[in-house]
Amino acid sequence: MTPKKALNYAYYPGCSLHASAGEYDLSTRELFKKLDIGLTEVPDWFCCGATPAHNVDELLSLSLCAKNLELAEQVEGDLAVACAACFSRLKTAQHVLAESDIKRRQVEKAIDAPVPLTSNVKHLLDILARDLGLEQLEQAVTKPLAGLKVACYYGCLLTRPTDVPNLDCVEAPTIMEDILKAAGAETVAWSHRMECCGANFTLSRPGVVIQLSHAILDSAKEAGADCIMVACPLCHGNLDIRQKEIEGVYNTEYAMPVFYITQLVGLATGLGADKLGLDALIVNPMPLLKEKGLV
Amino acid sequence: MKKKKMLLSTETMDVDFVRKVEALSGTSVRRCFQCGKCSAGCPMATFMEHPPNRVVRLLQLGQWQRILAGRSIWYCASCETCSTRCPNKVHLASIMDALRKLSWDAEGPSKESYVQLANRLFLQNIRTYGRQYEMRLAAVFNVKSGQFLKDLMLGPKLISKGKLKMFHQKNKNMTEIEKIFGRIEEMRKNGEAL
Repeated sequence: MTPKKALNYAYYPGCSLHASAGEYDLSTRELFKKLDIGLTEVPDWFCCGATPAHNVDELLSLSLCAKNLELAEQVEGDLAVACAACFSRLKTAQHVLAESDIKRRQVEKAIDAPVPLTSNVKHLLDILARDLGLEQLEQAVTKPLAGLKVACYYGCLLTRPTDVPNLDCVEAPTIMEDILKAAGAETVAWSHRMECCGANFTLSRPGVVIQLSHAILDSAKEAGADCIMVACPLCHGNLDIRQKEIEGVYNTEYAMPVFYITQLVGLATGLGADKLGLDALIVNPMPLLKEKGLV
Repeated sequence: MKKKKMLLSTETMDVDFVRKVEALSGTSVRRCFQCGKCSAGCPMATFMEHPPNRVVRLLQLGQWQRILAGRSIWYCASCETCSTRCPNKVHLASIMDALRKLSWDAEGPSKESYVQLANRLFLQNIRTYGRQYEMRLAAVFNVKSGQFLKDLMLGPKLISKGKLKMFHQKNKNMTEIEKIFGRIEEMRKNGEAL
């Protein structure tokens, strides 16, 4: 076995993790502590602009991302990003600015600093599966998630778009399944793992979210999944927070817990429910976890 | 759309607009050969009056007013499935961004106001707080859109779970973010940026 090298990262949590997705933040910090991976939050980071910024103002979106990349330079290590949307935005900005001299000059003028184009932006999944490695991860597992059937949900932005060097295969990624298998869980094959959940329409057009998320929940249920696993606070909000509403509209019942990846992997490494923020989930996961003997 | 005749003439075909979209999006509009794969995979196509491939076709024919007057571009979820699957490397998601930008700047005649309102509030929040303040975003959206009771049932549940913070997170260095917004406005005023 190769000797373990110290892993340290600059951490960009993103706005949601400091608000509606607090349990994602908590479980990420606890899991990384347990795995001996250092996380130092980027001091005074800004919102990346998410979808609304690039929707109507690309220059603003690029500038906000570039500013964050510049702030991250203060902390040593690659940049670890938890939210799929932030990850996609930061990666895309780097790619676009490297390709276009005109846009880079505009952005550098807007933030009054050079843009770091070579810094490594990594999603948590990448860090767990590749930097730490599946072998190391498997060794850290003390309570395998035996018998838990998980539907791994990628959503849109973890793997898209294709032209930006990204996380995994754009149409048939396996990185989430790989990690879950290392944690001892079973993963199901299902049709909607990369379909959009409606994302930020949750504010402006919730009807859209209800229709799209219903199809996702339905597909997971049909595939025999006990629960869904996500790596994005928006996917989580749509599938977990709106689940009751979706059940009402379609007159059905899912009672399908939706976990963040760090919560499930955290459970496998022996972290307690209190350290993973399981009580913050809207669909109560406790009956399922008790049934499987995991808590 | 179905019953309205489309008149094509040098007067109705605005090629300059297409060039602008191509410059903004960095992708070719003319390369699309209408295979329809983008619309086939689009999760939002059912909500649009012009599905993605038709948006491109209308653009190719210089009929951009029809696109900006509708809500199709505002019903794009930016999931990038279209760009990913295009066999001819048309980056449709970027074209949608460019169209929204042009509509936004023109204070467009779009029928879709809720998505625009949400975007506007989101960007205002960044300028005021540096980060998103979800509670305020939702509350102000409901007031401004006149849907006072929207998601009322979710509120107490979210607060009890600690998911809605009563106090916002604010960056320490707000002058920095204001400067970025200011410089971009300045650049646009001087014609240095689109």
